[in-house]
This record gives sequence, structure tokens and C-alpha cells, in this order.
Amino acid sequence: MGITMNQLLPKSLEAIPGGPALLTSLDSLINWARSNSLWPLTFGTSCCAIEVMMAAGASHHDLARFGAEVARPSPRQADLLVVAGTIVKRMAPRLKVLYEQMAEPKYVIATGACAISGGPFIYESYATVRGVHEVIPVDVYVPGCPPRPEAFFYGLLALQRLIREGETIRKPGERKKPVLAALPPGITLEQIRSELIANLENKAVVNRYE
Amino acid sequence: MNNSDLESYLLSLDKDLVLREKSDRVSITVPSEKLLQVMTQLRHDRALTFDMLSAHTAIDWSNENKLELIYQLYSSEHHHRIMVGVYLNREAPVTFSLCSLWQIAEWQEREVFDMFGVRYQNHPDLRRILLEDEWQGHPLLKDYKDDFMLERPW
Repeated sequence: MGITMNQLLPKSLEAIPGGPALLTSLDSLINWARSNSLWPLTFGTSCCAIEVMMAAGASHHDLARFGAEVARPSPRQADLLVVAGTIVKRMAPRLKVLYEQMAEPKYVIATGACAISGGPFIYESYATVRGVHEVIPVDVYVPGCPPRPEAFFYGLLALQRLIREGETIRKPGERKKPVLAALPPGITLEQIRSELIANLENKAVVNRYE
Repeated sequence: MNNSDLESYLLSLDKDLVLREKSDRVSITVPSEKLLQVMTQLRHDRALTFDMLSAHTAIDWSNENKLELIYQLYSSEHHHRIMVGVYLNREAPVTFSLCSLWQIAEWQEREVFDMFGVRYQNHPDLRRILLEDEWQGHPLLKDYKDDFMLERPW
């Protein structure tokens, strides 16, 4: 089918002079591909899902620009778990099962006050889990109640930056310290969009935002 | 029947019914020992025919030591609504199950039992519906406490 598998690739993976350089570039290539094809799992438990899944995925904000629009209904096909909403004690074991069903590499974004700390339900609640990190490891926190779509995009950009700099190929399952991706005050949607355009163009991604 | 006709008709049926504050629907308070009788009338009277129990919940008036049961009824034949309230003793809340009148009452009463601890007589399957079976206590009561809960720091 036009793909010729010669002996180049296995040989260059040997530890020979020049090898490490090739390995490094392979890492960055794979990280680049992974960061631009994050497939989120459709998992929304409350109002954050309206912002993060519906508003962010719809045409005005258009999540497709980041290569993250293919929301999967099955955890087997997803590699980004966006915890969008309150997690209660009855839901926590199901969330853990969903997380464990996802194939490596897998990433977790906790959006909104409930998923970060329990939010408005932290005191005098008999059921709310106080932060999703008590159940599964988290890569990026996106604060807000609920976060606006641009705040979620800011968190998604932080995760993509994390993946590009990351070492997830070498050590699957090992995670960097979680990142708090709070939208700086006073930033506008236009500024985020222009940053996105510059980012996409620098990384040679073709689907430019118009 | 419009609301004022419904009110006068209900008061002519039973003098123990107490009308409550004005709202978009008629609301009445029923003495707890008369609940089953009044509800049967609301369900089977041809002029009323409240054939749908749209909601059933409870309110914990802990400072008055009372527990109030709320029933929201709707008639799909006459298109009128009513809210029925019943006051129970908060220490030992016991009342009659309405499963024989509305089958959905089985699950709604299980939820009120789960959250408020109301015992329903003649309920076919009275066990918890939302929480785990081994859960201790009824968490929507105002004085509920457990080890998991955090105290409010202010």
C-alpha cells in the first residue's frame, strides 16, 4: 500500500552513534501527534458538561480546532478524561473503572469547582467526593463554576503543552505534577484565539482558525 | 375544574381539610390519620380523578419537631393539580403507603424512606433506593451527622 518497511527504523533504534538524537526526535514527533489528537471521553455529571462538552464542542467555539472533537462514548477509544461535574460517593467507583478501562497514554482534566475540591458541596455533604484526585490522578485543573469554554481551551492548551514536553512514551503511567490552568484575569477570547492561531501555525497544524 | 371550584368542592367533601396559602394550584393540609381516606377520594372521585402522583417528598421542620410529607397530584382527565401536605411526628414518622392508589408511589416512598426515614405501612418492598443498603441514618434530616461530613468552619 505504498508503505515500504525497510530495515531503517529498527536499526536506528539501536544505541549507536546518532541514535539518541533520533530517539529524541521520535519522542517529540509522537508527543506532537498525541497532543493534537486528544479524544475525550463523553463523561459529564453536571453543569460543567454543558460548558465543556456542549458549548465547547458546538460551532461557535469549535473544539475541533485542537483535534479534540471526537468525543468517544467508549473509554476504550478515548485518551482524555474530562471530569465535568460533581462526583459523588456512588459515582467514584464507576469513574475509577472508566479510567482504568482507558488505554495508555491517558490524561485527565478536572474542570470546575466540584471536580477540583467538591466546590459548593464541600461542607456538610454526606455524598460529594472532595476533589477527583481522591479517585484518579489528575493532569490539569481548570477552575471555574463552571469554566467558560475559553477557560477550558486554556486548560486544554496547558495539557497539550504538557504532553509535548512530557515523557509519557518512556514511562507510561507516570505523571508530571498536576497543573493549575487558571485563565489570567482580563484575558479575552480574542487573545486566546490569536494565541491558538500562532500555536497551531508554529506546530504546523493545517486546520487554521478563521 | 378551576382552582376556586376545586377548593369549594374539596371543603364540601371533608370539613377536616385545611386550605393553605394561595398558589398556582390548590394546596391542602390533611390530618395524618385521614390520609388514606382523603387520597382514595382524590384518586377515585369522578369529579377529581387525580390519576398521577407527579412528586412525593418530605420537609424536615426540625425546630417545630415536625416532618411534613408533600404529595403533588395531577389529573390527566381534568387537567387540574393539587398539593397535599401531611404533618407527622418527627421522632417516629409512620404513615400509610399509597402504592395501592398510584403504583409509582412505591419508588417515591422508598426515596423518602431513604432520605428521611419515614416508615410506610403496607409498602411491598420498603428498602433504600439511592444509598447503599448498609448506610446508617437518613441524610436529609437536619440533625444528620457522619464521619465523612466536614463541619462548616464558620
